[in-house]
Amino acid sequence: MKQNYDFKIDKIKDLTSEEISLRKKNLDLFYQTGFPNKKDEDWKFSDLNSILSNNFNKIANNDFLPREKEFKIIDEFEHNFISLFNGKLISKDFSYEEKNKILIKNFDYKDNLVLDSKNSLYFLNNALATGGFSLEISKNYKLKKPLVVYNNFSNSLKEKIVNYKNSIILNENSELNLINYINNSSKENFMANILESIKVKKDSSLNNILINNSKCNCYFYKYIKSDLEKNSNFENYLLSSGLKFNKLDIEINLNEENSNSSVFSALNLINKEHQEIKTRINHNAPNCNSYQKVKNVLNDESKGVYQGKIFVKNISQKTDAYQLSKALILNDAAEFDAKPELEIYADDVKCSHGSTSGSIDLNSIHYLKSRGIPEKEAYQMLINGFLCEILEKLSEGKIKNFLKEKLERQINGY
Amino acid sequence: MLNIKNLQATIDNKHILRGLNLNIKPGEVHAIMGPNGSGKSTLANVLSGKNGYDIKGEIKYNGVSLSKLSTEERAQKGIFLAFQYPLEIPGVNTNTFLKTSLNSVRKAQGEKELDTLTFLKLIKEKASELGIDEKFLSRQLNVGFSGGEKKKNEILQMKLLQPKLSILDETDSGLDIDALRIVADGVNSYKSKENAFLIITHYQRLLDYIKPDYVHVLSNGRIIKTGDADLGVQLEKTGYSNIV
Repeated sequence: MKQNYDFKIDKIKDLTSEEISLRKKNLDLFYQTGFPNKKDEDWKFSDLNSILSNNFNKIANNDFLPREKEFKIIDEFEHNFISLFNGKLISKDFSYEEKNKILIKNFDYKDNLVLDSKNSLYFLNNALATGGFSLEISKNYKLKKPLVVYNNFSNSLKEKIVNYKNSIILNENSELNLINYINNSSKENFMANILESIKVKKDSSLNNILINNSKCNCYFYKYIKSDLEKNSNFENYLLSSGLKFNKLDIEINLNEENSNSSVFSALNLINKEHQEIKTRINHNAPNCNSYQKVKNVLNDESKGVYQGKIFVKNISQKTDAYQLSKALILNDAAEFDAKPELEIYADDVKCSHGSTSGSIDLNSIHYLKSRGIPEKEAYQMLINGFLCEILEKLSEGKIKNFLKEKLERQINGY
Repeated sequence: MLNIKNLQATIDNKHILRGLNLNIKPGEVHAIMGPNGSGKSTLANVLSGKNGYDIKGEIKYNGVSLSKLSTEERAQKGIFLAFQYPLEIPGVNTNTFLKTSLNSVRKAQGEKELDTLTFLKLIKEKASELGIDEKFLSRQLNVGFSGGEKKKNEILQMKLLQPKLSILDETDSGLDIDALRIVADGVNSYKSKENAFLIITHYQRLLDYIKPDYVHVLSNGRIIKTGDADLGVQLEKTGYSNIV
């Protein structure tokens, strides 16, 4: 793949000479290894380099601003929104909220988000990122309506890579339902490489939902580093089916007592789609809970991967950590890999993990068919039931229904 | 309505049914009794079109050979099996399942599918006839239901789909007296000149509530004796060993 890179920092406007030299340094670091491949333990089930080599002739950084500014607003529930095109913040609407409680601006690259990652995509992002946003919610402010971030990608991104960074801060005792909505329906191959920092401060609560709207030839990577303070709550719902490739790399740091985090994921993969959920949950303080439930349905020649690590520091007594992965494999050519890891240095903890994979229960299919339900629909019902279960805990009724419908569409075909 | 001639069924090289003959006409209630392992549930499975059986002989349903029909087509044409062990289907809402089922059958029969409101009104009515709490309908299908609740749910499905031939496979097992009476009332209220029942059971007690026109004794894959309702009463006293 290396010979086909076309990455140019001088395509990026308005950089200081200092920034240019820092970006060049990062690009050099990227060039040392290129895109991650299976020799890297973290990428052993998702050889991105070979996946890109098989699907891209060349790859260049995106250099032009999108002309499109139109996109379809979700009409199933009332919401605030910000819209990005190819990573660039284009518009925002917080008309449901009080003024001055929400700070939203373009991501400032002088802030230089440091994520301590050795991953080469991190270096590439540092070298090439433009756009992205910074969002900050004021202390004691609970948003009245959810916030949808429309991640629109234009149709002109053939063999381009879009890099951007976001920063989200929930100050003390604030609350936000955040829906990251990936929106693209072009047939062109492109890649998105997104780094995001999330800070959930004392007594705050963040629901972080990621949903993909339609089938697209996007190769998606998102790294989220999150830090949780005392009594905070951070829930993730990952519904990214439909992307050609996706790796969601989530680090959650439970840094202070009584914080809770969860990761729920439901994926229905078809054709040669490949998706990986990778988590690292660091229990850095006592009395914190973490919960993970990852569900995959694998059709055709698709591949699903779950690498889940729970780390419990020696001081983190009374930790309650749980992870479960369940996969339904519907075709002999499909594959699911799970790598659960527990690293525990405290002695009074509750940690458990489980992983199952199997085929669909034919007795259940027979039962549904015996009620007149056609076979195809019976399969869809079971798959739907299997995946929808992860939404049970979500309390926002309208969002839950919206996600259920989207999930159904992901299962029954767009 | 149903004509079974010399039916043989084999699974995993085990001969279960060995030449079974049975004729059921509209309006009739037939009971099949027999000891464990005699082939009662196999008969129910075969009639519902369950995979895995090697079948010889002939089963005709209203003149059509059943072997030509898939499980769902049989259901759409009015064959209903109340399962001995109704399956738990996590994540599938009972109401959604019932509506999908009813509309699949209606669609196949050329009737208009019901919209959600009309369906909910109908199901509420049917559920209350069987003393089923509405809350059950919004739960996951059979998940965490007691044995009695599952069986009542089967009868609810029967009354909803309005089949022509209802096969009840040990619907009485796992029922307490009250639930048994409710289930029996459910069946009795659905009985008519147009539809028929095949009731598979070990015991007479269900037949105290649902009076059969014929009682058949199944043994070793064949019907070895046929009588009227009195045969069931007699079997309860003497056991199978005198006949088999």
